Amino acid sequence: MLDSSGLSRREVLQKCVALGSITLIASQSSAAMLLAFEEKELHKPTPPNELGPFYKKRAPQTAMLRAAGDPGMPLSVSGQILDTRGEKLPNVVVEVWQTDHLGHYDLDGYRYRAKLPADGSGNYKFESVMPGHYPDRVCQHIHYLVTAPGHKPLVTQLYFATDPVFEGDPDKNFNRDPLIHSRELVRPVMLVGDPKDIHAAVNFELCLERV
Amino acid sequence: MWRRLAVIADMLLLVPVLAAEALRPEKTIILPTDVVIRFTAISPAGTFVAGICRDQKLRLWDVSAGSLSRTLDLGGERLTSVRFSDDGQLVALGGAKGGVRIWELPSATLKLEFTNPSEVNALAISRDRKLVAAAPLEEAVEVWDLSSAKQVAKMRAPFSGTSALAFSPDSHWLATADGDTSIRLYDARTGKLRNSVDDLLLESFAIVFSTDGKYILTGGADKVVNLIDASSGKVLRSLAKQDDVLLDLRQSRDGKRLVAAYVNADDPSKASPVVIWDLETQSPRTRILEPGVVPNGGEFLLDGRLLMTSGSEKELKIWSVSP
Repeated sequence: MLDSSGLSRREVLQKCVALGSITLIASQSSAAMLLAFEEKELHKPTPPNELGPFYKKRAPQTAMLRAAGDPGMPLSVSGQILDTRGEKLPNVVVEVWQTDHLGHYDLDGYRYRAKLPADGSGNYKFESVMPGHYPDRVCQHIHYLVTAPGHKPLVTQLYFATDPVFEGDPDKNFNRDPLIHSRELVRPVMLVGDPKDIHAAVNFELCLERV
Repeated sequence: MWRRLAVIADMLLLVPVLAAEALRPEKTIILPTDVVIRFTAISPAGTFVAGICRDQKLRLWDVSAGSLSRTLDLGGERLTSVRFSDDGQLVALGGAKGGVRIWELPSATLKLEFTNPSEVNALAISRDRKLVAAAPLEEAVEVWDLSSAKQVAKMRAPFSGTSALAFSPDSHWLATADGDTSIRLYDARTGKLRNSVDDLLLESFAIVFSTDGKYILTGGADKVVNLIDASSGKVLRSLAKQDDVLLDLRQSRDGKRLVAAYVNADDPSKASPVVIWDLETQSPRTRILEPGVVPNGGEFLLDGRLLMTSGSEKELKIWSVSP
C-alpha cells in the first residue's frame, strides 16, 4: 500500500518516528505503534450472500466434484483465502455446493457438493461443471461456506460474468438477480484448453473478517 | 403458510390446480379486479382469512360473512410473513425491509412495532400472547415482549439465519430451524440454549411442537417429517420420505393429524401434494393433488377442522378438508 510519495505506509511511519515528526504518546512505544498500524485492514471482506435452502452437512472431502462423462462445461475454480490484512489463511475449510448442468440440486446424495481439502497455504481449487440455472433463481451460482479459526464464517456465492442473464455486461446487469448485491461476486470466466477440450476457469479470491 | 409456494406462484402465475374427494367448498370470496393474493393465513379461531396481496397489503376477510373486514400494511414494504396467534386474537406481519407489526383482532389495534435488520423470514407468537419472535434473513432471531414493547432475547445460529420458528405450548421455549441444518431449543425469554439437534443433514423449513410440548416435528429439504424429543434433542423417528421438499407443517389440536405442504425442488412450478399424516399410524391419511386448485394456505382450527385456501385472482376459495 503506497501513499502519493511512493512510500509504503510502514515506511512513512518509520521515517516519521525517526525524524521525530510524530510525538509518541508516553505509554506507547514505536513498536506498539507499528503493530497498531499493521493491524489496519488492507482488504475488504468478501461480500456475504445468502446461504440458500439446500446446504447439506457432511459433504465428502474432495476437490473433484464432476465424475467422468458428466455432461456440461467442465469448470475449474481456484483462489486464495486471505484475511483482511492480506495474509493467507492456512487452516481454512471451504464447503461448496451447486446444481448440476441442468440446474438440479442433489438433495438425496452429495453430487456437486464438497468440503475442499485445505492445502495449508491458503489456496483452494476444485473441478466441477458450470452449474445450470435453478428454476427459482435468476443466475447460475456456486454456494460457499468458508470457516477458519478466529474468523467470522463467510457465507457467499460465486456468479459468472458469462451468465446469459447479464447479456455480456455484468457491470450494468449484475443486479438482474435480486440476490446479487455486489458486482464483486460476479467473476470473469476464462475459456482454456484446446478446441476439442475446452473448459472454463474462474478465480475467486476469498477474504475473511476476523472475529 | 406456504409462502414459498406463493413466491413461485408470483413468478409463474400458476395455472389453477388442486381439489379432491377430501375437499368440500366452504366459502368463495370474490376479489376486486386489482387484488391478487400471493398466499394466505387462516386464523385458528376460524374467524378471519388473511391474504397477503401483491399490492403489499394484508387483507382480512371475515370467513363466515365472506366480506372484507380490515386492510393492514407495513407502510408499503413488501410483505413476506404473516402469523396468527393460536387463539386468533393477534396477527403478526413481517416485511422485506425487516418491518414487523402486531395487531389485536378484531379491532386491528396496533400492539407492537419493531424493525429487524433484514427481510422477515418467519414469525411466531407465544400461546400466552406475551412474546413474538421474528427471524430475519441471515440474522439473529429476535424475541420481543408484547406488553413492555422491548426485545428480551436474541438467538444467533453459528452461520446463516433461521427458516422457521415455534413456541412450545407453555410459551417457555422457542424452537428454531436454522440454515446450518440444526434445530435449536432456547429459553424464549433469556435466549439460553437448552439443546441443539445436529443430526439433520439438510435444512428444515417447517417446525411445530406437539400439543403436549414433549416433541418437536420438523420437515424440509430432507423430504421427511422428523419427530424430535424436546428434552433430549434426539431424533426419535422420521415419517416416510416423500418425493418433494416439505415447506410447511401444522398439527391438529388433538395431536393426531399433521398437515404438510410440499414443493418440487427441481421444478417448483409443478403441482405438489398436500399430505395429511396420521400421527398414530405414522402414515399418510389423505393426499391432496388434483388439477383444479392451487393451495396457498391452510390451518387446523380450534374446533378440529382443517381449512385450506386456493385461488389468487378473481376469487379466493376456502375449503374444508375432511378428516
